[in-house]
Amino acid sequence: MTTLGWVFMTCSLVLVWGGAFWCYKRVLQTPTDEKVPAGYGP
Amino acid sequence: MSQSKDEWGSKLGVILAVAGSAVGLGNFLRFPGQAAANGGGAFLIPYFCALFLLGIPIGWAEWTMGRYGGKKGLHGAPMIMGAIGKGSLARYLGVLGVLIPLGVSTYYVFIETWTFAYFLKYLSGGIGIVQGTSIAEQTAAAGSFYSMITGSDGDGSLFTGDSRFTVISWVVVFAINLFFVFRGLSKGIEKFVSFAMPVMAVCAVIVLVRVLTLGTPDPNLPEQSVINGLGYMWNPDFSKLGNFQTWLAAAGQIFFSLSVGFGVIINYASYMRRKDDVALSGLTAAATNELFEVGFGGMITLTAAFVFLGLSGTAGAVATGSFGLGFNTLPVVFAQMGAFENIIGALWFFMLWLAAITSSLSMYAPAVAHLKEATNMSHGRSTAVIALIGTLGAVLTLWFTAGGAFWSTVDFWVGTYLIFVLAMVQIIYFGWVFGIDRGWRELHQGASIQVPTIFKVVMKYIAPAYLIIVFVGFTIQNFRASLEASWANTGSRVAMLTIAAILLYLVVVTWIGERRLRAAGVDIDDATPAD
Repeated sequence: MTTLGWVFMTCSLVLVWGGAFWCYKRVLQTPTDEKVPAGYGP
Repeated sequence: MSQSKDEWGSKLGVILAVAGSAVGLGNFLRFPGQAAANGGGAFLIPYFCALFLLGIPIGWAEWTMGRYGGKKGLHGAPMIMGAIGKGSLARYLGVLGVLIPLGVSTYYVFIETWTFAYFLKYLSGGIGIVQGTSIAEQTAAAGSFYSMITGSDGDGSLFTGDSRFTVISWVVVFAINLFFVFRGLSKGIEKFVSFAMPVMAVCAVIVLVRVLTLGTPDPNLPEQSVINGLGYMWNPDFSKLGNFQTWLAAAGQIFFSLSVGFGVIINYASYMRRKDDVALSGLTAAATNELFEVGFGGMITLTAAFVFLGLSGTAGAVATGSFGLGFNTLPVVFAQMGAFENIIGALWFFMLWLAAITSSLSMYAPAVAHLKEATNMSHGRSTAVIALIGTLGAVLTLWFTAGGAFWSTVDFWVGTYLIFVLAMVQIIYFGWVFGIDRGWRELHQGASIQVPTIFKVVMKYIAPAYLIIVFVGFTIQNFRASLEASWANTGSRVAMLTIAAILLYLVVVTWIGERRLRAAGVDIDDATPAD
């Protein structure tokens, strides 16, 4: 594996793992006081 | 509008449902092959460009349109598109938002059945590969099992001999799908994906750890190491960036991986409240998909193949395509893991099955919602009608297996071509008819994040322009030849007729719904905005 290979792999993994972590952190920090209304289901 | 009642059980519900729909076999099988063939690490440059310029913005537009439709009490893609586009043309184009998931489901559940059958076989002792024999013999054994499971030898072969195991597996898989669809949004789909997504992540982590700790299994072949395997996937080849095909492949991978233009997001988002966030939800669903695709798919598949099969073996596996890589090559790789073969094999195919079923579950919901909305049928009856259509499509898929003619034809026209068409229609209506300023306000209603203003330009100009260019170019270059190829044999001809029959049925349902809802005084043309 070349140095550039390591760079591309590390940057990509940081982006996707970091992005997912940031998103879920924000989602879980946001309070929910409502539920969705009537819709799909029996 | 709906005479039945259901709600998401948690705020993560819709995110996991959309993410589950997006994460599928392509994340683990198609992405690594595309990356390796198009510049390795360098492929990630056009890939992430496409993610931010195409995938995420179109996804936001779909989430926004879906929630807007829900404000007006509309849940099916045709009626929502009719409201967004203010008329019948948009409504009938929106039929694609039901045809695509329903059409894809006819063969997707079949492929999902393969993963389930492989999983069961690994649980019960393996798929017939004898350890210690040569790689060529093991490859032949894997190929023989693959032919048996997929029925690729000839039409009707799945209904004879050992291949009947596939039909039995299909019945089980289809029944599981119907069970959760019938139970509805929160008690069925959400409950299942809330279990399946974390389990899939755990399976992926276990397989990833196993692969990354393989080291150099054969001291006589020191070049076949994990590090070199990662290098095969990630070493950048910048010369590929000068090739238009690389940029096209990257955009295609993003596009199909995220399930944009599929008709699912617009339906799922319609069950959200008017102040529920869609900006962060859309981003989170996309981020989840990328985590599975790049974080797991990019690390596991080719690395494992390289460690045991070497450079030429891995290159050969990539050339066989996603299914060849996943169902022929990887079983041979697992056979090199000694005592771990059946454990890793079972884990891998269970993970693929979870990835597949969280996608297939989402394919029935848009059709059930449209049928209920248009005809005022109950949820149970709508599910039964869609199940009947699904069964008829599946029987044809199970019968016409020679060369995969039936399902590959449906995959091309419905699962590839029409997705581009629907996404193009949706983003044009969103940016130019609904209006980008209005759409932007709608996107930010109740939003937990502020989307950078540059995306306004992307959604109005860049994404539609890109899709139009690809659509026109593809149509000029391939349409006629593809159409002729799709009429070349019985299986593909039946597939084309099946697509036409389902389309006709959905158009009639939409026509009935249009009249029924108008008569009921529903504002289906959005005469009074619901902002």
